[in-house]
Amino acid sequence: MSSSTKFLTLKTCDDKKFVLDEAIAVRSQTIKNMVEDDCVSNVIPLPNVNSKTMTKVIEYWKKHSEEGVSKDVLMDFDKAFVKVHHSILHALILAANFLNDKEILDMMCQEVADRIKGKTPEEIRKEFDIKNDFTPEEEEEIRKENAWAFE
Amino acid sequence: MENSIAPPWVELPPDITSSILQKVGPIEMLKSADKVCSTWRRLCHEPAMWRVVKMQNAGADFWDREDDLEKICGRAVECSNGELVDLSLEYFGSDKLLSYIAERSPQLKHLRLVCSYNVSAEGLSAAVKKFPLLEELHLFYIAITKEAIETIGSSCRGLKSFKLNNQICRHPYSERDEEAKAIAQNMPELHHLQLLGNKMTNGGLEAILNGCPQLESLDLRRCLTVNLLGEVGKRYFRQFKSLRPPQDPAEDYGPDTEMHDYGSFDEDYPSEFSDIDLISDDDDDYELSDGSNYSDDDEMLFE
Repeated sequence: MSSSTKFLTLKTCDDKKFVLDEAIAVRSQTIKNMVEDDCVSNVIPLPNVNSKTMTKVIEYWKKHSEEGVSKDVLMDFDKAFVKVHHSILHALILAANFLNDKEILDMMCQEVADRIKGKTPEEIRKEFDIKNDFTPEEEEEIRKENAWAFE
Repeated sequence: MENSIAPPWVELPPDITSSILQKVGPIEMLKSADKVCSTWRRLCHEPAMWRVVKMQNAGADFWDREDDLEKICGRAVECSNGELVDLSLEYFGSDKLLSYIAERSPQLKHLRLVCSYNVSAEGLSAAVKKFPLLEELHLFYIAITKEAIETIGSSCRGLKSFKLNNQICRHPYSERDEEAKAIAQNMPELHHLQLLGNKMTNGGLEAILNGCPQLESLDLRRCLTVNLLGEVGKRYFRQFKSLRPPQDPAEDYGPDTEMHDYGSFDEDYPSEFSDIDLISDDDDDYELSDGSNYSDDDEMLFE
């Protein structure tokens, strides 16, 4: 154990401040690099992350930094963690990307993939509010593709 | 506020979208995700997405019909635009598909076929001629001949890892060294060899030890016609750090083992094999890599 716990202050884009044990905050590779390069003043600004998203990220970091937590408990935690509205899922992906936390990013991308699986293109568009922007040529190509067979 | 507005999924950084699409898997990428919008379509068809293709037939309860899967696999190969490096097919595949892949995948380094019952020795032989860079060839339940092994060896000079697992033993006492000898004579660069349930004798094993001097691991599980008590056995135990002798448990041999019913073909093994104990306690070269011990596993395997 380190003799003294160092704390970092993270400031989100909506001007909320989070005081966090440095050992936990460096789960973010972005923050870790800043700490290692010694370019950390008092407050680390996180211009791309809002406080609501950061709260979720910190919740994850703290749970996964706890000592003596069993694998099963963590798995249950993760399962519940990804069950969020699309908008939070999207925000968490962007935050994890900015913070360079591969673990959260991977887990969230997997969740999106799971929500895509088993759906038709039309169902996917509806679920994710995506516009069908294919040109008539592309539509034709897709039609041909569906009839494609290799010789 | 946030809950009412749909997030702009299509505007995610392309590498993130690619990562999501890859997690969707090759089948659904080419069946549905690439028909959602032009951005996803472009990303789904990037050759870089198709350097590694692992496809599995989920079984008769699903919609994955074999010819459907073959079609999708063919499309995946097309999308790879010649960049395919690593291909794994489970429970589907045919000579026709293999030939299609062979014509378009000069970079292929790893090929794994599991229970691709419509792949013949001839089809495989024809295909490997187009895979000069192949380093890994893993075959599970693929019927193969001595001639095919010779062709593989002479076509893929840099083959480092070869697995040939045909565990179905109808005649446990029949012996045959032709596969072992063909490997010994044609695959001198091998570093890893797995021959589960092979019928080789000590002669075949000796040929392999002589012909493949680079071998780091040799997995002989269920090769019940090999006797490791003699000189060859001593060489075997001396040479390899990672040992899998014939009586080692074979549950973890590679493809998703829970789909196989071991009990059914183990009935073919005579029960007296369970009494064999080839390993003396003072042989400290010998390690069970999975930490298991014999007494339990033997019962499970040979009863």
